[in-house]
Amino acid sequence: MEDIVIAILRSATPLVYVTLAGVIAQRAGIWHLGLEGLMISGACATVLGIVLTGSIWAALFWAIAVCVAGSVLFWFVVEKLRANQIIAGLGLTGLGLGGTTLAVQSIFGTQAAVSAPFGLPRLGPAFGAYGSLSILVLLMPVLVLAVWVMLRRTRFGLRLAASGEHPFAARGVGVNPSAMRLAALVMGGALCALAGAELATGSLQIFAQNMTAGRGFMGFAAVIFGAGHPIGATLAALFFAIVGAIGIKAQLIFGDRIPHDLLLGLPYIATVLGIWVSTKLRGGTKAANGFAELRNE
Amino acid sequence: MTKKITDGMSLINRAIDRRFFLKATAGLGMASMASGLLAAVAHASGGLVALVHTQAAGDAGPVDSMIARLKQLSDEKGFEYRAVYAQDPATYETIFRTLGDAGAAVIVSTFNEVAEPFKALAPSYPNTKWVQLFADPFEPAIPNVVTVSYDYYLGCYLSGIFAARMSKSGKLGFIGGVSIPPINADFNAFKAGVLSVRPDATVTSAFAGSFQDPAKGQEIATQMFSSGIDFIQTDAAATDFGIIAAANEVPGRLVSVLDPAQFPKGPQSVISIVGLDFGTSLYNEVSKALGSGWAGGTHEHTGLGTGVIDFIRSPIFKEQGPAEIVSAAKATEAEIDAARAAILDGSLKVEFNTKL
Repeated sequence: MEDIVIAILRSATPLVYVTLAGVIAQRAGIWHLGLEGLMISGACATVLGIVLTGSIWAALFWAIAVCVAGSVLFWFVVEKLRANQIIAGLGLTGLGLGGTTLAVQSIFGTQAAVSAPFGLPRLGPAFGAYGSLSILVLLMPVLVLAVWVMLRRTRFGLRLAASGEHPFAARGVGVNPSAMRLAALVMGGALCALAGAELATGSLQIFAQNMTAGRGFMGFAAVIFGAGHPIGATLAALFFAIVGAIGIKAQLIFGDRIPHDLLLGLPYIATVLGIWVSTKLRGGTKAANGFAELRNE
Repeated sequence: MTKKITDGMSLINRAIDRRFFLKATAGLGMASMASGLLAAVAHASGGLVALVHTQAAGDAGPVDSMIARLKQLSDEKGFEYRAVYAQDPATYETIFRTLGDAGAAVIVSTFNEVAEPFKALAPSYPNTKWVQLFADPFEPAIPNVVTVSYDYYLGCYLSGIFAARMSKSGKLGFIGGVSIPPINADFNAFKAGVLSVRPDATVTSAFAGSFQDPAKGQEIATQMFSSGIDFIQTDAAATDFGIIAAANEVPGRLVSVLDPAQFPKGPQSVISIVGLDFGTSLYNEVSKALGSGWAGGTHEHTGLGTGVIDFIRSPIFKEQGPAEIVSAAKATEAEIDAARAAILDGSLKVEFNTKL
């Protein structure tokens, strides 16, 4: 049982971090489809940082810097160049997926997997069977709480929400919505860097091309499923991780009696169902309406 | 005045409509790619051998191996060579045509995805010898094309015998990248190998859904190991790294992987490989193509005993693995050699079964 919980925590942690990035962006009025690109950039930058500097902290700093730079670029394109944020987000994802391949090839002359000699610090023997998990797993609930407090209980969070929901009203009380969106995207960039770092070096110590495998998009779906609420979206991300683990367990239990592809598709089926369910809930409807408003812009 | 401006804008819009823009962009892209490629090969026309690889180099596996052996052969025989990465299927035909136009002597490429461009272009370039590795036979055959297939599943059968002997629990696992016919056949052969020497054993299969998702590989392997499986055969390319990581977490977990480059990743867990040496295969095929007796329009089956496919124990594990497991592994050698010999002399038939 412990192994299953550990496996779920491992797969859920990067998903939760990237989901939080999506939540913050959504509160600021941005539907962030660049999460996948930022996450893979974070994964790549962390591994490259470790290999090139020999320090996990320098690598994390480097990863955060790369993802923040990507976020600022996204903000500039959306806010200053007035680009459609969905298209710009997908562009950022393409940039991340292609850019990481190019970066690895340029630096190492390779286009595929790069191994790091070590990864993120682990929790250690004091945590028993969970000692093999990285410190970012332990930090995850703290960050979820911190994001919730920031968004719901601080002046900054209220201004951020106002910038997303009623930018004209926000301007009326002296808040600059564009600056608030920049702040949201920068914070999201840092969270995406941590998501990528956890994915690549939480337990694997490797970067492989396209290794995010759609996790950024699942994070985006979790934002909608969780109605843009940090706790709700986190629970949605955990739900996706649990469904993924159940899919694997089902493969092992049912073997060839159920098509493997169907079981592998469970997280994605759950994602679609989750979004559908969320539209039946008040917050979900609100989120979906936000999406509709975006289409009408 | 306003109307004039509006009319002018609509004129521009009509002149640069979406279809025109897309066509122009595609044309410019193709032209720039072709001109870049032509510039690279122009000076080498005549004796050029080109490898067009559809998976990324730097995999510490098949592609790197092919490039290295092509370079070696180039040094030995004194011909020019180029390794071209064709990432996008839309570019295959352009790349092959460009190489053909440049007068390439031999064009080698891999996997079934290049079959259609080969069929479309090879007849137009009869002076170029075309070699497709990991291919199905062409029907009808094309006189200047050789296709090569690999009986990798035979190596998996040998690995199954080995795994059955090494497993203490009698529970074995197989993790594939994607459930496709050749990988299904590998699983069935592995299972047949296990059951041939240990009928009471169980073999469980799972697929990651990707060849490049090590995190998913680790997740699957962790669940397999926690369910009592103590030996996993992998067939999942970069996803294997996650499987090896899961095996490294607890002593006694064993994996058999795909490539010798993965031996150092698990000095005490990666006990063996079912190797498919693409580099050697390419070396053999290009050597033949450059020779005088090359027979085009043929299909070659490459199996055990060719130096291309084999079950190989890890030399690193032999040195650093637990002594009792190393000696148990050594004790299986005679049995595996006998099975290999029986397959080669035809007395042992292993079914190529692609159904799960």
